[in-house]
Amino acid sequence: MKPLILLIEDDAQIRRFLRAALAAEDYRLQEAVTAEEGLTQAAARQPDLILLDLGLPDRDGLEVIQKVREWGKIPILVLSARGQEKDKIAALDLGADDYVAKPFAVGELLARIRAALRRSAATAAGTVVRFGAVEVDLDKRLVRVEGREVHLTPNEYKLLQVLIQHAGKVLTQRQLLNEVWGPQHTEQAQYLRVYIAQLRRKLERNPARPKHLHTEPGVGYRLVIEDPA
Amino acid sequence: MRAALLAAAVVAIATAASVLLRDSLAPTNLAMIYLGGVVAVAMRCSRRLSVAASFLSVAAFDFFCVPPYLTFAVSDYQYVFTFAGMLAVALVISTQTGRLRDHAAQAAVREARTEALYRLSSRLAGETRVFEAARSAASLAAEVFAARVVVFLPEDGRISFRRRTSDPLPVPPSEESIAQWVFDHGHKAGLRADAHPDATALYIPLRGARETFGVLAVLPDSQNRIFAPEQQQLLEVFASQTALAIERTLSQRAAEETRVHMQTEQMRSSLLSAVSHDLRTPLASITGAASTLRSQHGRLPLATQQELLDSISDEAERLGRLVGNLLDMTRFESGPVELRRDLYPLEEIVGTALQRMEPQLQGRTVLTDLAENLPLVFVDDVLIGQVLWNLLENAAKYTPPGSPLDLVAFEEQGAVIIEVRDRGPGILPGEEERIFEKFYRGSSVKGSGNAHGAGLGLPICRAIIEAHRGTIRALPREGGGATFRISLPIQAA
Repeated sequence: MKPLILLIEDDAQIRRFLRAALAAEDYRLQEAVTAEEGLTQAAARQPDLILLDLGLPDRDGLEVIQKVREWGKIPILVLSARGQEKDKIAALDLGADDYVAKPFAVGELLARIRAALRRSAATAAGTVVRFGAVEVDLDKRLVRVEGREVHLTPNEYKLLQVLIQHAGKVLTQRQLLNEVWGPQHTEQAQYLRVYIAQLRRKLERNPARPKHLHTEPGVGYRLVIEDPA
Repeated sequence: MRAALLAAAVVAIATAASVLLRDSLAPTNLAMIYLGGVVAVAMRCSRRLSVAASFLSVAAFDFFCVPPYLTFAVSDYQYVFTFAGMLAVALVISTQTGRLRDHAAQAAVREARTEALYRLSSRLAGETRVFEAARSAASLAAEVFAARVVVFLPEDGRISFRRRTSDPLPVPPSEESIAQWVFDHGHKAGLRADAHPDATALYIPLRGARETFGVLAVLPDSQNRIFAPEQQQLLEVFASQTALAIERTLSQRAAEETRVHMQTEQMRSSLLSAVSHDLRTPLASITGAASTLRSQHGRLPLATQQELLDSISDEAERLGRLVGNLLDMTRFESGPVELRRDLYPLEEIVGTALQRMEPQLQGRTVLTDLAENLPLVFVDDVLIGQVLWNLLENAAKYTPPGSPLDLVAFEEQGAVIIEVRDRGPGILPGEEERIFEKFYRGSSVKGSGNAHGAGLGLPICRAIIEAHRGTIRALPREGGGATFRISLPIQAA
């Protein structure tokens, strides 16, 4: 069956064009106008993905993320206004999977939806991950760039591993610090930046124009594995 | 009394000298000695005394110097002419010298007055606040008139003893009503004046050409001096000069406010017209394309439909950018920008900007050359990223497609320098600064039709860089093109 998407959005015009765009991609769509209605629908219909607008009339969209995460892992894609990095970080830290800033192009949204659905379907895929010229053998902990082995320090490797685990997803600085260095280091973002810079130097052809290790300004990092088609 | 003794002494000395010389000099010559004495008295003493000295001299001359001696009787009646002549000359000397002295004294008073007023006007000239002007005038008046002086200013149209230029209050609070009367009527009152002569102070209105600004209260230390007519007059001139100075201050301020207000209005209206033009143009394209598609859907060739759709999407994007820029500009202008600074490798910020620009940079060579070992920069990464993105976007928009761009960074004299260089038409001389002004479009851009911007990108860049205490400038590039140069001071976190 086609994946079911729950759209929680109060603006009728946005619902209208999303309805058209999603129908064209053969997704099934359930619409909710308020947070309350959205939560009820999410529990009743168990959608495959939730598209959530943060500015809802009755409740903060962040609350919806929190409530949904209390009982399930349904991927949540947040629709946020431009420039509100704080909201994006809060949403991601609460467990949202990704965000798209308004105004957005439908193509970009559909790509994010596909990626999120794919991530939730994939279960511990192959042990060798490839992106660009990089090849990571997760079993043997080996990293090769253009066939040549590259030495990573344990922390660099751990960081890369976390990024690969969540490939395609934005990880906030806090999430990365927590997973690599542990919960007591979540404020030391400088560490992280230095390690990311080192990883880029080792893996990217031009570290100043990274193809895979993307920065989401003010929010965090995203490892892009598939070539954007 | 001392002056009278002095006059008598002078006559006595003249007499003594004459007595000693009366055997060797003719009596008519001795009269000259007395006249000398009268001149001396007239120079020093009042006119009355010198007249008295004239008569006394004639009498003494008769008594001691005209034979027979020690009697007023005269042997030769010729001497009556001598006496009359001597008296006439002495009186003329007395009168003329006295008049001369009066003139000198008046000149001195006038000079003191001029000086006092000059000091007043020079002290008030630079004063832009009413209260400060009143305070300066009060302290100068205290000095000039040797009195305690305080100025009371009105509060909501009524004189208030609370609004005064010095502490403590030198007059009884009950006299506030006298000050109010003076303020209302514009006439002086109080001590020795026609109204309320038993008050502790003399109240003089600070009355300008159009209105009364306050009340000057004078408490003389020595009552005699200040009530001399010329002092009273000076006091009034002083008060009116003060009022005029305050009036000038106020009208200057009003003129300045009007000027600023007009400028603001002018800017607002030009801003509004620029914004509404920039908002309407893409809106018009979107509305036009969308309505064409809706009403003539079936009759349009597919390629045309696609074209209209592209235009809707492009124009919407442009509208979005414009609204975003307007929001940013509003944010930067409504107060100091709140920076979320941290230490970042510049590489990361540059990389993000380039990544975001990827679609617009298709088909161009973008050379990035970041110096090795650049220090971390202490910045708001989102905002600095936006600056780079804006510069790259401008370069992509205003330079020929396919022309190369360079993004270079290096360290120089305690600052990290970031340069975005292009090979476009460059910036016209004289426009290097103007392009950072709001809604300014370079003249090379004007009328080129396909290059649109709201003229906000560079002003936003400048606002962001200046919030980081850095600088951003546009420079001509050797070999053609433009260089945008950002300098960020290296700072610790």
